[in-house]
Amino acid sequence: MVATAFSSLVPMETEEAQIARGLRRRDPDLLDVLIEQYQHRLLRYLLHLTGNRATAEDLFQETWLRVLEKGHLYDGRNRFVTWLMSIAHNVAIDHLRKRNPSSLDKMKDPEDGVPFEPEASGPSPLDLAVARQQHEMFDAALSQVPPLFREVLVLRFQEQMKLEEIAKLIRIPVATVKTRIYRGVMALRPALKGNAQ
Amino acid sequence: MTNQEHERAIDIITRQGVDDIAAHDTAWLESHLAQCSECAEYAALVASTGQLLRAVAVTASPALVSTTQARVRARAAQLREHQARVVLIAVSFCIGVLSSTVSAWLWWRVGGWVAEHVGLPPSYVAPGILLFWLLPAIVIAVLMLAFPHHGLEQSLMLSLAREREGENR
Repeated sequence: MVATAFSSLVPMETEEAQIARGLRRRDPDLLDVLIEQYQHRLLRYLLHLTGNRATAEDLFQETWLRVLEKGHLYDGRNRFVTWLMSIAHNVAIDHLRKRNPSSLDKMKDPEDGVPFEPEASGPSPLDLAVARQQHEMFDAALSQVPPLFREVLVLRFQEQMKLEEIAKLIRIPVATVKTRIYRGVMALRPALKGNAQ
Repeated sequence: MTNQEHERAIDIITRQGVDDIAAHDTAWLESHLAQCSECAEYAALVASTGQLLRAVAVTASPALVSTTQARVRARAAQLREHQARVVLIAVSFCIGVLSSTVSAWLWWRVGGWVAEHVGLPPSYVAPGILLFWLLPAIVIAVLMLAFPHHGLEQSLMLSLAREREGENR
């Protein structure tokens, strides 16, 4: 009875708080689980940011090493994924500064070909072919979008992040996030025309 | 239609899907889109962008995941070892400071006692203790100057040359 009353008074520890506690301890088991859990999302974000699979994989490993080293800075008040993406963002920026301070687009390897495999959709071979063509056109168009806009598009539409979360992650005002999304979508307009109608 | 209305429409369109949009805002947007082809086009483009971006499948290979996990584990062990070393150094430093303080105080008392018994003025105590402490270093320095060690000199010159090389790079 007392125990029940006590447990109702003491708030349950949130998942974020548990992660924060584990990161402060540099718990390798927790990190194993987190790597497994966020592998695809993190790689997808880095791949869109860099446009190069090999670079994205290097930065993927670098991001987790930095999570281990800077883990004590995560306070558990925000979603872990937002913090993880902000670490990845900083790792990518650092990499860019080292390689080429002028443009993130330069990181894209022209010999890399199509950066990612579009997921096949549609029941018939014709639908499949049309969808594949659309995705290829979209990927090609997306790779032409300046990385500043590409990043917010990925965070907003793929990671389903709120504008405030994106603003916090990239450290820009919410109004700038909205402008970047608008300009990113508009940059994709030629490729999206067929799909939007 | 005012710019403010377009901005409001774009804001709602951008937030749709992830943010909670009030029912009256959704209703207002619907009526606005019915009248504004520009915003309606933007809404369609946003929907298509979301649809196509979500359809892109990117998967991390199991090799990448296991390599990352191994690297993280190795780095965690390295950091733990480093932390243990830092703690050890800090403890040693504290013990060193404490023992130096105690021994300095003891030597001061001993010096005072010796000066009193020998009949020296108290102003001789401080320089006397200082000389006593510096004596081993002075002796070693004199010996090294008297009998120069070529090996030591060579290694010093080599390390200096390496340092300069690093600076030039």
